[in-house]
Amino acid sequence: MIQVSGEFIAFFVVSCFVIGGAVFMIHLVRVVHMVLALAFSLLGIAGIYVLLNAEFLAVVQVLIYTGAVSILMLFGIMLTRHRDREEEGTRLWHSVISFVGVGALFGILIHTIYHTPFAGRTAEVEHYSTARLGETVFKKYVIPFEAVSVLLLVALVGAVILAGKERNT
Amino acid sequence: MVANAWIIPLFPLIAFLILLAGRNAFSQNTAAWVGSVAALLSLGSSAAVLMERLGGSDSLAGLEWLSFGETTIRFGIEVNQLNALMLLIVSGVSFLVQVYSAGYMKGDGRVSVFYAYLGLFTFSMLGLVISPNLLQLYLFWELVGVCSFLLIGFWYFKPEAKRAAKKAFIVTRIGDIGLFIAVILTFIHAGSFELAQVFDAVKAGEIPPGTVTLIALLIFVGAVGKSGQFPLHTWLPDAMEGPTPVSALIHAATMVAAGVYLVARTFPVFEASPAAMNAVAWTGAFTAIFAASIGLVQNDIKRVLAYSTVSQLGYMMLALGSAGYAAGVFHLMTHAFFKALLFLAAGAVIVALHHEQDIRRMGGLWETHRTVGWFFLTGCLAISGIPPFAGFFSKDEILLAAFHDGRTGVFLVGVVTAFLTSFYMFRLFFLVFRGERRMEAKKVGPVPRVMIWPMGILALLSVLGGFVEYPGHGLSRWLSEGSGIVPAAEGEASFLVPLFSTVVSLTGIVLAWAMYDNKSLPRDFFSRPLPWTWRLLHRKYYVDEAYGKVIVTPYGWLGHFLAGFDRYIVGGAVRAVVKGVLLTGALVTGIQNGQAQTYALVSVIGLVLLIVGLTAGRLFG
Amino acid sequence: MMAVTSYLALGAILFCVGLFGVLTKRNAVMVLFCIELMLNAANINLVAFSKYGLHANQTGQVFTLFTITVAAAEAAVGVAILFALYRNRNTVKADRYDTMKG
Repeated sequence: MIQVSGEFIAFFVVSCFVIGGAVFMIHLVRVVHMVLALAFSLLGIAGIYVLLNAEFLAVVQVLIYTGAVSILMLFGIMLTRHRDREEEGTRLWHSVISFVGVGALFGILIHTIYHTPFAGRTAEVEHYSTARLGETVFKKYVIPFEAVSVLLLVALVGAVILAGKERNT
Repeated sequence: MVANAWIIPLFPLIAFLILLAGRNAFSQNTAAWVGSVAALLSLGSSAAVLMERLGGSDSLAGLEWLSFGETTIRFGIEVNQLNALMLLIVSGVSFLVQVYSAGYMKGDGRVSVFYAYLGLFTFSMLGLVISPNLLQLYLFWELVGVCSFLLIGFWYFKPEAKRAAKKAFIVTRIGDIGLFIAVILTFIHAGSFELAQVFDAVKAGEIPPGTVTLIALLIFVGAVGKSGQFPLHTWLPDAMEGPTPVSALIHAATMVAAGVYLVARTFPVFEASPAAMNAVAWTGAFTAIFAASIGLVQNDIKRVLAYSTVSQLGYMMLALGSAGYAAGVFHLMTHAFFKALLFLAAGAVIVALHHEQDIRRMGGLWETHRTVGWFFLTGCLAISGIPPFAGFFSKDEILLAAFHDGRTGVFLVGVVTAFLTSFYMFRLFFLVFRGERRMEAKKVGPVPRVMIWPMGILALLSVLGGFVEYPGHGLSRWLSEGSGIVPAAEGEASFLVPLFSTVVSLTGIVLAWAMYDNKSLPRDFFSRPLPWTWRLLHRKYYVDEAYGKVIVTPYGWLGHFLAGFDRYIVGGAVRAVVKGVLLTGALVTGIQNGQAQTYALVSVIGLVLLIVGLTAGRLFG
Repeated sequence: MMAVTSYLALGAILFCVGLFGVLTKRNAVMVLFCIELMLNAANINLVAFSKYGLHANQTGQVFTLFTITVAAAEAAVGVAILFALYRNRNTVKADRYDTMKG
């Protein structure tokens, strides 16, 4: 039922990037390489957003995830000064059971996805625009927006307190 | 006093409680005093009750015990002729036995416990005797069984005593189940446990005849178990492992008398069913001759007496089955006297010979223990039915009853049994008291005075006990009066029958004399030509062996099988469950290692299982 | 035309890979990475439904916006907690944080 179209090819390539990045992140050994693989994957997700007519989100994704969060993570790695290698685990059973459990969950998800009758309709994406998005956010969802602002502030203060040097210890 | 008859069983019960509480504090004498005084009080009250009852009428008193629906179960006391007589017999024999025990049990470490058990035993029997309804009767019936278990196994450190106690308990239990079924059947059909109402129902024909027969037979099964009738007699001789006073009590007044008393008490039910009467008469007759023949060749002084008891109980059953209600009860009474006497005398002999019980090693006691010898002789004469001793009158009543009831076969069996009885009793007497002494003189000790005078009273009763009935049938009239039981008919043969039986008994005595004292006949006069008969008798007809082979061994296998089943299959399952739980515990302990990742993993697995569980069937549908 | 299922499947794959990483990675920083990946997988679903859903409209994108914001806050707090933990226990090994025994 999937016709080969431009969108399909683009989706295929981008999702390959995304999944590849994710899998590389899991399997790479050096931590810095992992961060790079993750950034690659998150960048791919921005591409997916473009395919889904969410250009503003794609930009936000690139800015926040590929930029800010990755850098934050690098800082985390650097500041904790650990040996930047993921050691080979001795927890073989743990990994095996995790794999089985996650695999079962994956099976259930995929099974559910492919057995759910979706409408198969496409929204009128030509009306989607950043202006409308902004309008929705600032009109309809203004209270959640403010709440998120407070959350960010609290997270900022909290992060400073947590990461800051403890006194009198 | 009749209205306060409930106090009679209370004295032994109180004695039991006191003795049990102070079993470590009381000296032997104190214990003996407590027990004997309680029994004496019971005896006094019983005598008062009997005196009052001689002129008065029945008394029935009771309290409500349980009430459900329309049914009320009561407990209470009833005093009628039979009860009053039994009260006197039980408390009297119990009192004498307790006095005697003070001498017999001297030196035993647990005299207080012994007296406590005797008190409980007496209490149970007295309670059984005054019960006005079947349920209460059954309760005391079981209590009697428990007490017999405790007393037979009193010397529990002897393996034989332990085995005998178990055997007595288990064998009588077979009978108890019969009685229990009878009690329930009676309740179903008559709607009441009260004996009076049951009798009314039987008389009015409210119970179908077949059921009456069934009930009567089941009651009789209970009596067979308790009174040691064939085929449940095997426990009685083994019960000789208990102390001799206990044997006297069991054989004369309490345990075995309970069976005969039960049949006598429920006599109207039996009267209503000819089949049951036949069963009672023939079982009694067979037991009488069967046990008497075994008694001929036994060598343990107490075992001979035990088989004699079985045989005499058969006599009583025979009498009851032949409609000789008064005769049966009369014989129960006289037998209580002379059998208690014989046992106590045997106990005295055993004490004198330092617990030697084999009659082949006794002899010549007449010179040293003439008093005991006279008592024993009195008992022997009484049980053999020589006039004017008590046994003569009661035995002739029985034979007359059988004769008048038209049961010639039963009558003949009774006569042959009378012959056998006198023969084995005098064999015993001659072997123990006559002949040359077979033990060294220094080993023969004296008999304490406290043991002598209870025997004296019993000897007196054995001599005079028959005159309550003769002349003039005083006892039978009084017993039958108002109870609706037809007294045994009197007929022309009434003169010949006693003569005949006396001659037969005398023949037995003379034969025993010839064989064991005078020695004009060799001892193997009978056993030489009939060796297999002798062996058969000596091994008690192989009844124990047969039971062992047919019942005990298969049960043993079954027991082993079940034990194996229990140990390996049930126990294995239990152990498997335990192992499983332990294993699960160890596993789960491993999971709780404090790492967030492990917890998250468990959550994920839990989520998967939850989804699968909730959507199973729909997911792949 | 693309089916929504493909996007959903992509989301599922990313989610499971992230979950696997969360469960098995021994470096706490990498655990945080994987949590971000899982959040992104959820975002893909939201955006996909904003285009192909039954009542598709731009609200899905609004929610994604919020999620990204919260995820950013979470990343910041997470790294801060990691610093605090590192100061106390001198390690970032997730399997060495084993004080959560009931």
